[in-house]
Amino acid sequence: MTHDLPYNGSASLDALLDAAVDAIIISDDEGTIVQFNSAAERLFGYAAADIIGQNLTTLMPPPDRNQHGQYMSRYLNSGQPAIIGIGREVTGLHASGRTVPVHLSVGEIKSGGRERFVGILRDLSEQKKYEAAVITLESQLAHADRLVALGELTAGMAHEINQPLTAIAAFSDAGARLIDNDNDAARTELKNICGRISQQARRAGDVIARLRRLSQKGELSKSSHDLQRLVQSALQLFDHEVRRSNAAIATHFNHRTKLVPVDEIQIQQVLVNLIKNSLDALAESATEPAQVHVHVEEEDEHLYIIVEDNGPGVDPENEPHLFEPFFTTKDHGVGLGLSICRNIAVAHGGNLRYKRSERGGARFTLSLPLTYIG
Amino acid sequence: MKSGKGLVCIIDDDEAVRESLRILLFSAGFDTCSFESADDWLESEDKPSTDVFLLDIRMPGTDGTELHRIMLEQGSRVPVIFITGHGDIPLAVAAIQRGATDFLTKPFEDGELIERIGSAIEQFRQEQQRDRELADLRRRFESLTPRERDVLELIVDGKSNKGVATALSISPRTVEIHRARVMEKIAAESVAELVRMAENIRMSSS
Repeated sequence: MTHDLPYNGSASLDALLDAAVDAIIISDDEGTIVQFNSAAERLFGYAAADIIGQNLTTLMPPPDRNQHGQYMSRYLNSGQPAIIGIGREVTGLHASGRTVPVHLSVGEIKSGGRERFVGILRDLSEQKKYEAAVITLESQLAHADRLVALGELTAGMAHEINQPLTAIAAFSDAGARLIDNDNDAARTELKNICGRISQQARRAGDVIARLRRLSQKGELSKSSHDLQRLVQSALQLFDHEVRRSNAAIATHFNHRTKLVPVDEIQIQQVLVNLIKNSLDALAESATEPAQVHVHVEEEDEHLYIIVEDNGPGVDPENEPHLFEPFFTTKDHGVGLGLSICRNIAVAHGGNLRYKRSERGGARFTLSLPLTYIG
Repeated sequence: MKSGKGLVCIIDDDEAVRESLRILLFSAGFDTCSFESADDWLESEDKPSTDVFLLDIRMPGTDGTELHRIMLEQGSRVPVIFITGHGDIPLAVAAIQRGATDFLTKPFEDGELIERIGSAIEQFRQEQQRDRELADLRRRFESLTPRERDVLELIVDGKSNKGVATALSISPRTVEIHRARVMEKIAAESVAELVRMAENIRMSSS
């Protein structure tokens, strides 16, 4: 199991490496594999005899495959580690061509003037599967929660609005009866009634205003956020869904300003809504290949986050109602998503607009001012 | 203060609903009193003599259906009309099954509200009238002597004076005297009326 320019390979070292649960791979400073233990054989599907002597990049999918040489020479020249002593999640490439999520930690061995690197890899497939299941479950729960909350909200709201309406109806009916009594007492009562009616109408209005405030979930808490990271972390939530569907999400970041004053959670809520809508639309259509394109542009002191897809797009008939509360075309939708998203955009001093994408599907543009507003 | 149309007692926790009902019912000629909770009404020292209750089904503290149960337990026969939101209709139906008179959903149709209140009061008053008449009748029957009661029973069974005399082993003349006393005490105009009154008493006590 040793290369012909080994490293004083000994039978006891081989036994030690082969007993390890984690995959252990040792390379020289050019990335040539010199040692490959049994766990590594199982993880990557190569026999040690076949892979020793090849470059580490064989075990990597792009883009790491193309850039690994640069990573190594950068480290060797500068001494600035990108991964050594840190460890991180990377993607490995199995002999069969499928990718494997792994945790990789790298150490270096200096012996005889030559640098060697030892990589210890742990298969994360099971853990990822579990995480994805948890995320799906969580999003289902969150949805159920929202529906339950909304159900309670509408029942509570119906009662709250029905009370003043009941009073208004009874006051007006009483007024209509009293109006024929031509005396001072009736006139005083009528005046009182009119006052009470307008008071009750305002009471109903207040209930609705309260509901509006509630659906915006309180004050914005804006601070500077790296927009690219914000978009990427929103996209991460869809990793699982995307892997299961045949849709792909591409991103392009064409903005110069890195930090934007936004309420991180609310803007993520908007992005998640838009991306989810796109994926839902694509899942229902037979578009091939199904694509969601998220790109960020900068112009005139504004950032534009554009989410577009090549799905069926919005029925032109429905376009005018897209942002209306309780308007939905989804069977189980409640029709608040886009209306809340637009409220969030407006609260940021921006806007959320729709037009048909040149790719054929829907195109939503969230605009955000770069200057700090309120 | 009680006028011809009757006193409506409104129990609802919403001030605006109470006040609008008060003015509406006033404009339709009813007298009203109102309480903002069932507990307030239960605790009030001198409860106004009420012809119909308008009872909100959902209230903080003792709610409408619970108050209705207490009223029934205390033997009250005053009609109860529940006022409910749309979501409470099953509750209201259950209350009707337990003996409530009626229910109205908010917001009300004023004609319907007034009509339902009017007919509940009318029905209640007829019942009260019947109760009074019956109590009066019972008093009159109770004023009969044992012998007069024997005579009455035989007359009601369809016996002639002679038959009564034979059955009781007394003279027909004595039967006639007892019979005249019975008619007088009961205030019946004819034997047919006497029979009907006796039937009423028998039915109400069975």
